[in-house]
Amino acid sequence: MTFVSFFSQFISGISVGLVLFLIAAGLSLIFGTMRVLNLAHGTFFMVGSFLCFAFSSLFANSSGSFWWALLFAPIGVALIGGILEVLLLRRIYNQDMLYQYILTFALILILGDGLKYFFGVSFKTIEVPWPLGGSVSFWGMSFPIYNLFLIVCGIAIFIFMLALMRYTKLGRIVRAVTLNRDMANALGINVPLVYTGVFMLGCYLAGLAGALMPPMSVVALGADMHVIIECFIIVVIGGLGSLSGAFIGAVILGFLNSFGILVMPKLAVAFPFMLMIFILIVRPHGLMGKPE
Amino acid sequence: MKKRFVSSVLALIAVLCLGVTVHAAEKKPIVIGHIHSMSGALSMYGISSEAGGSIAIEEINAAGGILGRPLKMITRDDKANPEVGLREAKDLVISENADFLTGTVSSAVGMAVSSFAKKEKIIFMPSNAQSSRMTEDEFHPYIFRIATNSVVYWGYAPAIALANTKKVKKIISLGWEYETGKTALKQFKEKYLEMVPDAQIIDELWAPLGTTDYTAYINKIKNSGADAFYLAAVYGGGELAFTKQADSFGLYDQMLAIQPCAGDIESWYTVTKGGPFPKAALATTRYPFWAIDNPRSKVFVEKYKNKVGQYPSYGAMNHYNTIYALKAGIEKAGAVDTEKIIKALEGLTLDTLIGKVQIRAYDHQAMMPTWYGTMDYAEGLPFPHVVKVTPIGEEGYHTIEQIKKLRESK
Amino acid sequence: MRGKVKKDFLTYLSRADLWLVLAGIATLLVLPSVLSKSWVSLLIEMMIMALAGCSLNLIVGYGGMVSFGPAGLYGAGAYTTAILLSRYGLPFPLAVLAAPIMAGLVGAVVGWFCVRRNAVYFALLTLAFSQIIWTVIFQWYDFTNGDNGIIGVPIPDYVSSITRSYYFIVVITLFCIFLMWRMVNSPFGITIQSIRENPLRSEFISVAVRRYQLSLFVVSSVFLGVSGALYCVFAGSVFPDYAHWAKSTDMLIVCLLGGLHSFAGPIVGSIVYIFLSKTIAKGTTYWMFYLGMIIAFLVLFMRGGIVGFANEKLAWILNRRNGARRGGER
Repeated sequence: MTFVSFFSQFISGISVGLVLFLIAAGLSLIFGTMRVLNLAHGTFFMVGSFLCFAFSSLFANSSGSFWWALLFAPIGVALIGGILEVLLLRRIYNQDMLYQYILTFALILILGDGLKYFFGVSFKTIEVPWPLGGSVSFWGMSFPIYNLFLIVCGIAIFIFMLALMRYTKLGRIVRAVTLNRDMANALGINVPLVYTGVFMLGCYLAGLAGALMPPMSVVALGADMHVIIECFIIVVIGGLGSLSGAFIGAVILGFLNSFGILVMPKLAVAFPFMLMIFILIVRPHGLMGKPE
Repeated sequence: MKKRFVSSVLALIAVLCLGVTVHAAEKKPIVIGHIHSMSGALSMYGISSEAGGSIAIEEINAAGGILGRPLKMITRDDKANPEVGLREAKDLVISENADFLTGTVSSAVGMAVSSFAKKEKIIFMPSNAQSSRMTEDEFHPYIFRIATNSVVYWGYAPAIALANTKKVKKIISLGWEYETGKTALKQFKEKYLEMVPDAQIIDELWAPLGTTDYTAYINKIKNSGADAFYLAAVYGGGELAFTKQADSFGLYDQMLAIQPCAGDIESWYTVTKGGPFPKAALATTRYPFWAIDNPRSKVFVEKYKNKVGQYPSYGAMNHYNTIYALKAGIEKAGAVDTEKIIKALEGLTLDTLIGKVQIRAYDHQAMMPTWYGTMDYAEGLPFPHVVKVTPIGEEGYHTIEQIKKLRESK
Repeated sequence: MRGKVKKDFLTYLSRADLWLVLAGIATLLVLPSVLSKSWVSLLIEMMIMALAGCSLNLIVGYGGMVSFGPAGLYGAGAYTTAILLSRYGLPFPLAVLAAPIMAGLVGAVVGWFCVRRNAVYFALLTLAFSQIIWTVIFQWYDFTNGDNGIIGVPIPDYVSSITRSYYFIVVITLFCIFLMWRMVNSPFGITIQSIRENPLRSEFISVAVRRYQLSLFVVSSVFLGVSGALYCVFAGSVFPDYAHWAKSTDMLIVCLLGGLHSFAGPIVGSIVYIFLSKTIAKGTTYWMFYLGMIIAFLVLFMRGGIVGFANEKLAWILNRRNGARRGGER
């Protein structure tokens, strides 16, 4: 295999992986802070896709309809997430793990059928937005500009989130609550508000991923099931609760998916699961997570 | 006098009751159990099939029904899941007294319902599901198909089309990794290598069923050195996603695309001119209504557009033809009697929306034609389609000898 | 899992409970002669799901280990029976017996890996293994028929009709439930519950925690395998979805609905869940929405499930009665 084809395979795997990073980052953040594994995170992603479609149809007459959708859809998802957190999730933080899972699973059902009700069952599409259409060629390989845009977005958001967590007051508050909730509470931090905020941020990221994905794919029901499994794999590899872990995990998964089909097509489907099992046995807190 | 009066009133009431019962029995509807994918990724096939069937039923009922009895269609969602489809089939027969079963698009569901139909001795007419196994090695007398099958759809028609146009030598295939996908490639290879012996399939790529992200595969195809690529059983939303991604990578400019399913318009309802579509792809289509000069077909297209707001696809046409075939069979048999209807349908020539087609007695398969051509936009239609069509007829199907061999080797 | 060890509904009624159970069994045996085929069919599904739910409850309710992967073992059992019957033509009793053995073996391998970790990591491991089992079934087309499933499994005449299969399934289900009941009330069962309550303390009193958990996992897998085999006999067909994690969530919901902290919980949960899913799903396209609302309601307001709820109310009634009789004594 030539270097060029290797590189193009790598790039294409990464572009998808980074969209998954956005979702996994939200999942990891929520777990890290609130110890809740949000099974419905893939569904928030799907809601983001549908809202993106809805907004871009709403603004269809003005130019740059996609950009408006990209602006509003994740906010919409964050709002929905916030409402659900206050109404439902808040009550089960003290409960056993099983109840949290089952409740977030119930959200999958409710949101999924909600989308079915508002949007119907057929799939939707969105065109690639104006300045990002077409492809560039370098080294004899042509590559769609939109995929490169996704890579840039993913890296930018990763850097932004890292900076947010490390250098801002908000980040410090979130980290404090993550490390020691009771102490943070004692110091006057409004912990329930932080929880709601973190959940909304996680949903915002999932919604953003949902809005970025449609131009290169389709908007369809059922996407959440596939996505959530991939996200589990990413956060296990990277470490539950770690942002950089989610990034590394997403890169590794993108790599595995794109090279798996080249090298070992038969086993390619099972590979990610096998890696997940391996990590869970050998180093359950993942590559970047902290041991419990 | 009073006694006589009372008894005559009673007699009158009795006669009225009898009359009503007889009348009700006569008017008891013939129930068609329609199992299809009404939700999920394949739902547009289910919706179009249901609409096509209900147009047929409305027409037939307006003309007095079949043997004086009205037709009734009950639609159930199989969710593209054979377990669910089987459950619905059982329910339709046991609880809803279905007399016939139609529908299904997923071949797995079709096969499951077919085996149920065999056990229950009820006629099943798959109007979308293409698996040729249903009429070949898994054949039983209760199955009839008034539609193409996978041999034609995925295999022989694209192969013949390719051999008659651009005899490419190096082909790479990409398909969904399940039985239909594997069989599709097998049939395509079978026919194409027979017609162009020095051609070769240089690689076979398989993606999980229902994949929507093909970037890695597209890259591999681009670097493969093939002259053309063939899509094995990739349809619906997955096909649209593939097309968008392939278009953005410039794949359609680099090599010839053989996309059998591209001729079916369900995938392109949401595409607008200027958007990505399989440019210049070699495609096959089963209902090129824009090129068919049949007055009944034109009426059907209008009715369908008014009903659904979109143009009809082959799934709608198949179900329409299937219902009319059932009507022809029942009327020829003279009764709603399964064994008589089977005898009546075997060898019967049907008057379908695309002309006269005969049901081959050996495998109960109607010899429905297919057309091929290249994909483009043309005047009058908002979606990309096969503009200039060339027909393929019976040569697209397995011959009786081939089927005999398959059945014997089972 | 920090659940209170609530007294079971049955033990409240002491002598009466035996009569209740016997009456229940007698009713079950009589029902096919009075009910229509579709109801009998429904009852069969309820019983199989009850068995699966009880098997899952062993690890979740009694063991305190949340598993996302029971469907993998269930599917393994179902496919074992289906493949042995259709591909190798083994005699029926052998094919059915092989299912729990195979499921137990698979459970031993999966469990060995999974019990090494706790809580959320255990759950994710069970999910991963279950998905691998599903993938193997789906991909290994030559052996398992892949996505088409195996239809028309040759079920012998003496169990093929609805009524005959009903009796066969009733007998086996009751037998298995009886075995499970004996097990949870045995020293093994008590030890498992003590591990659930406080694993550290249990280890201090020299209980080999991991070994007990693995044994429990294997036992649960064996019974899941039986329920899979029974479903294969009932339906005459098996599909890869039998091993999909969606089926696992069905089983978890059944346990939760009925009540995790009681033995009879999954039985009650199965009856209600299957009944609801058949009746509501027929009437609306938004069945998933209603199910989601029901689950949310359960988790927020009825965490003990139906049996837990019934226990509370019964305790309240009995306490009031006892209090009044003793003249207000606490």
